Amino acid sequence: MDISFNNNEIHINIDTSIFNIDAIHKCFYWYGDDYSVTINSSSDNSVFVMLKQKNGKIKSDEEDKLIDKINNDLLDFQTRDTVTKETKNIRDLLVAKAFAHSDIYDEDPPGEISDPVGFKV
Amino acid sequence: MNRKSRKFLPQDDFNKEGENYFLLPFRFININKHKELLVNDVGDYIISDIGTARKVVNREIDKSGSLYADLISKFFISEKDIPELIDIQATRYRTKKSFLDEFTALHIFVITLRCDHTCHYCQVSRQTSNKSKYDMSKKNLDRSIDLMFKSPSKHITMEFQGGEPLLAFDNVKYAIERADKLSKTNNKEITFVICTNLASITEEQLHFCKDHEVLISTSYDGPKFIHDSNRNFSKGSSHEVVTKKIDLVRKILGEDQISALMTTTNLTLQYPIEIIDDYLAMGFNNIFLRPISPYGFAIKNEKKNKYEIENFIDFYIKGLSHIIDINRKGRFFSEDYSTIILSKILTPLPVGYVDLQSPSGAINSAIVYNYNGFVYASDESRMLAEMSDETFNLGHVKDNSYNQIFYGEKSKNIAKYSCNEALPGCSECGFQTFCGADPIYNHATQGDMTGYRPTNGFCKKNMDIMRYLFNLISDDNDIMGIFTNWVHKGKYDFELRNEA
Repeated sequence: MDISFNNNEIHINIDTSIFNIDAIHKCFYWYGDDYSVTINSSSDNSVFVMLKQKNGKIKSDEEDKLIDKINNDLLDFQTRDTVTKETKNIRDLLVAKAFAHSDIYDEDPPGEISDPVGFKV
Repeated sequence: MNRKSRKFLPQDDFNKEGENYFLLPFRFININKHKELLVNDVGDYIISDIGTARKVVNREIDKSGSLYADLISKFFISEKDIPELIDIQATRYRTKKSFLDEFTALHIFVITLRCDHTCHYCQVSRQTSNKSKYDMSKKNLDRSIDLMFKSPSKHITMEFQGGEPLLAFDNVKYAIERADKLSKTNNKEITFVICTNLASITEEQLHFCKDHEVLISTSYDGPKFIHDSNRNFSKGSSHEVVTKKIDLVRKILGEDQISALMTTTNLTLQYPIEIIDDYLAMGFNNIFLRPISPYGFAIKNEKKNKYEIENFIDFYIKGLSHIIDINRKGRFFSEDYSTIILSKILTPLPVGYVDLQSPSGAINSAIVYNYNGFVYASDESRMLAEMSDETFNLGHVKDNSYNQIFYGEKSKNIAKYSCNEALPGCSECGFQTFCGADPIYNHATQGDMTGYRPTNGFCKKNMDIMRYLFNLISDDNDIMGIFTNWVHKGKYDFELRNEA
């Protein structure tokens, strides 16, 4: 990832083989309060994000903090995206089971049903 | 006789080296610079070091450690692709959403718009005269009651609002008597609530309330100089009247039959401690630190009522800290909004609070029958209607059927924006399980029902309060006892390790 500053703009080139486009969009959605956000595809495997500060200029002593924040936010949103996509089917199953009006989605209880008291003949 | 007993599989069967685990649905969010909160779909949570979620996803969790055991036992990961106890999780999920089974339980009747107070934050426009124009007609009252009894909910709350409902007490009395009879033939339990400023309440009215087990909810803004400044009463000091009448209500109905609500104005923001201490002195065991709804008539007076949500959060946290100190000294006293959130965090049950539900409580949990016969999706919806915004007008009790009102195109459209599971900014938020969706707030403050979370006051308020609560849970050894006691309304036994 390449981050540079230009007056009140932050320019970010992101490798989409590391951060996917969904995670990038979800991450920079949250920058919309303080920045105007532009996201463009710059090549087959990268996107260009421009953050333009709405009020005032970015101070030079804030730049390192912003780089850290952008890096961490992207990692977090990539992690969230991985969880969302990896668990989509199990979440769908959980919700279907929760709201099913019959026991058609019920699993057999785990383990062998034993008869310790000896009720069965 | 066959006496088989259950045998456990050997330990190796559960903890196979080199095998990866499967992720289960969860969300996470930072609560401070060092800790993050992981929450699954049924509200189980783990507070751990920043970066834990990344390690979980990257399969970097040490299988012999306690975190791994926590992640397994709290259903964040599973050693099988479908966890064997998934049906239990599904039952817990269904339980969390079980408020949907009942559908609309709270039915609000705006019995009149007339009022004897002119509070500058009043949510609705008030009318001082013209009884025929601003009272609900008997016909519309009957039609509204009939609609209420079509609700599938077995437990119905019928709440009278205004204006000042006691100015139309004949209608209130008629409605309660009719609903009481119909509840028996319809096999429903019904609770009555009158929201009143108490100024005109009489002993005779209170005896009627006692006979019908009516609960009283009143507005009380704290010390006299705040209450009287916020709540202008044409016949003198509103504070003097309401304090005397609170005593009268307690004497006739009982101590626990009256609750009070305060509204936060710019003046209120400066006095969290004084207001809480005043509530204590008045004998209340709880307070609802409640911001003003930032739309409708309420913010017409910007100087008195419009403030940034950050200022409210500052007020709220000062107040909550003071309340926690009161509890540390051994006096039970709770804050209602935190208690609602904590009930979601600490119990498996849903909480019947319409503003923090997903799907939204509008229509699903509450409905408003306005004085003129129109039906609205929530109390806030009729506030918008008073400002000529009829977006959430669902129909009229005379012209529209139950199905047309509750399941019509407008209701269906609102439902599209009612699940925070599917809203941008909410869908992957770590607080989602404890939060709600408010399409009406979004529409009123941001122009569409989806809303835009980075600048959304509802989101900011809930995130800040939940973050604060989880920081307390993470850092303060005594807090869980106090919080659990709030959830159990003072009936939870606990010992404080560090008394104030």
